[in-house]
Amino acid sequence: MSELLPLLVAVPIVGALVGLVVGYKFERLAWPLAVVTSLAHTALAAFVAFEVYAGGEPLSYAVGGFQPPFGIELVVDGLNAAVVVLVAAVALGILAYARRAGPHSAAFYTGYLLLVAGLSGMSVTGDMFNLYVFLEITGLAAYALVATGDDGRSAVGALKYLLVGTVGASLFLVGIGYAFVATGTLNMADLAEKLAGVGYGSTLVRASFAFVVTGLAVKTALYPLHTWQPEAYASAPDSVSALISALVSTVSAYALGRVIFSVYTVDFLSSVAFAREFVLVLAGISIIAGSVLAVMQTELKRMLAYSSVSQFGLVVAAFAIANDAAVTGGVVHLVGHAVMKGGLFLAVGAIAARTGARYVGEFDGLAARAPLLSAALATLSLSMVGVPPAVGFVGKWYIALGAIQSQLWPIAVVILLSTLLTLAYFLRIVERMYFRSAAPREAPAERSTGTGAAAVADGGANDDSDTDDERPTLGRGSDVDFGSPSAGMVAVILVAALLAVALGPLVSTFEPLLEPTLDLLLQP
Amino acid sequence: MSGNGSGSSGNSTSSGDSPNRITRNDEQVPYVESTIIMTTVRVVTPFILTLGLFVMFHGASSAGGGFQGGAIAGTVVLLLAFAFGIGPVRDWLNPAVILGLIAVGVGTFVAVALGSLVLGGEFLQYTAYPVPHASKYGIELVELGIGAVVAGIITGLFFLIAAGFETGEPMEDDT
Repeated sequence: MSELLPLLVAVPIVGALVGLVVGYKFERLAWPLAVVTSLAHTALAAFVAFEVYAGGEPLSYAVGGFQPPFGIELVVDGLNAAVVVLVAAVALGILAYARRAGPHSAAFYTGYLLLVAGLSGMSVTGDMFNLYVFLEITGLAAYALVATGDDGRSAVGALKYLLVGTVGASLFLVGIGYAFVATGTLNMADLAEKLAGVGYGSTLVRASFAFVVTGLAVKTALYPLHTWQPEAYASAPDSVSALISALVSTVSAYALGRVIFSVYTVDFLSSVAFAREFVLVLAGISIIAGSVLAVMQTELKRMLAYSSVSQFGLVVAAFAIANDAAVTGGVVHLVGHAVMKGGLFLAVGAIAARTGARYVGEFDGLAARAPLLSAALATLSLSMVGVPPAVGFVGKWYIALGAIQSQLWPIAVVILLSTLLTLAYFLRIVERMYFRSAAPREAPAERSTGTGAAAVADGGANDDSDTDDERPTLGRGSDVDFGSPSAGMVAVILVAALLAVALGPLVSTFEPLLEPTLDLLLQP
Repeated sequence: MSGNGSGSSGNSTSSGDSPNRITRNDEQVPYVESTIIMTTVRVVTPFILTLGLFVMFHGASSAGGGFQGGAIAGTVVLLLAFAFGIGPVRDWLNPAVILGLIAVGVGTFVAVALGSLVLGGEFLQYTAYPVPHASKYGIELVELGIGAVVAGIITGLFFLIAAGFETGEPMEDDT
């Protein structure tokens, strides 16, 4: 069934193409076409994952009939099968949300499908240069999506993202170049053997590791390299914020793990102690700094963005610890964080649509005004903090367990500390929603993000022509124009909240499925 | 994307309700009608287009390819715009044409890739086609497709940027 692997990338590209052409003439058909494509993609991903976990063997595919190591290889094993399904499922959920929340344009759906294609490509590829190509496709689609808001703020956010993201991708490319000079190959499995042959002491190999890790750390948004991320998340329309926060950094973090285990291998980490310390210190600083910065934010979307900096620090730390428990925890947290953070961004968007609240101070007594959305937001927040039995707890638990097993006490302490800080910044929201009554000042809707001027400018032609372009986009302009969230939007948020709780107990069934892959990756 | 936007953006002259908005479109771009430039461009463009195709076809066997060739072919429209003014060239060039160019380019690549699957080969396996020298012609076809995409994107981006942007919208100070 490995013939399906290239289709994981090809199907969204075909969908993007058809959507672009048909959407030019009939803008209303763009959404249904995107849904059909996304459904097909999800079915493919689920089928591939089922094959991998049922068979216990990795699937691999040589593109164009050129055999690896010369041709491009696509590989799906237990590690990335979960990521492939995650990408497809989250994208489908956000599409359901975007039907009402916007942006409503054929260009948005095209960019969305190209992003899905790039992310799927990054997830399935077994070739370093191919990984770089898909990293760029993902990046370009993400920059364009952030810029889909019409006002100046999202344009500035996208430009910042573009500049920093390109530097990150270039560093990654330099690292690949060094590895290629050292070994003369680009296939991941082949690189792993030949890098060992060259010797881990070689300066070329060490430099390539440093460049590759730094490049991917920019894309994952670890602490000192995260500068593009908060503004990009906060300035994009809400659907885009959720999509990007849930998937782009997640797949970059997966790629970092894949490169560490499948290219440089655990042997490299254990023989070059400095490399492991480098990654661990980077991750540890990111965990603490992200949490501290999140506590300091007043705008909810920025707070969630800084929270991601901290959570991805956890995942990368897990990959650097590199024992069974930690890597299991890393994968669980990768998937769990995507569901939780995507759900949180969507919940914040829907709450803003109903009440106009986008700043922490405006959340007083929200549970009375929007009970269902508040409950979902509280559930997702507590899951993110790590309250059992939610998935946020299970991921952190395994990572902390792994750190203790490897006697890495500082990391264990950092995880505990970050949990307290996470509690601090999420609990203040929950406390305001449930235990304070709404302040009498009732003009929160005027203080939304964005400039509002774009919405005013568009407002003139609202009644006579109701083409899709005229419908307001959530997260851009004034939330008052948007009206109230639709049933579909609320349903997606509730599903995310339920998943965040339900996935926790399911980890015990997922763990044995992951084990054969981890044995392969972690025991050289 | 770019074909879609190039037609609509920048021409929002209907916004009479907000007096502080200045629309800067191509009427304000300085354009000098020069016989020398127009004649030169008229003579040179066929050769540039040929060079673009030549570079695209070379992608299969030697230095060249769709990206370089497409960029060269795309400059033809840019030269025409410089010589005859951006406005007239924009009017002459339907945005649907640019969109079609991009769609046909991507479509060619995808069709070649999926066609080999249908014929029982691997994804993107040129030798699955029952044609002599299938690899060579397959790669050339794909390079032409890439060239079409690149040329379309370059012209689309050019018109988007040339359309200018709306000033008077308050830019929020980012923190």
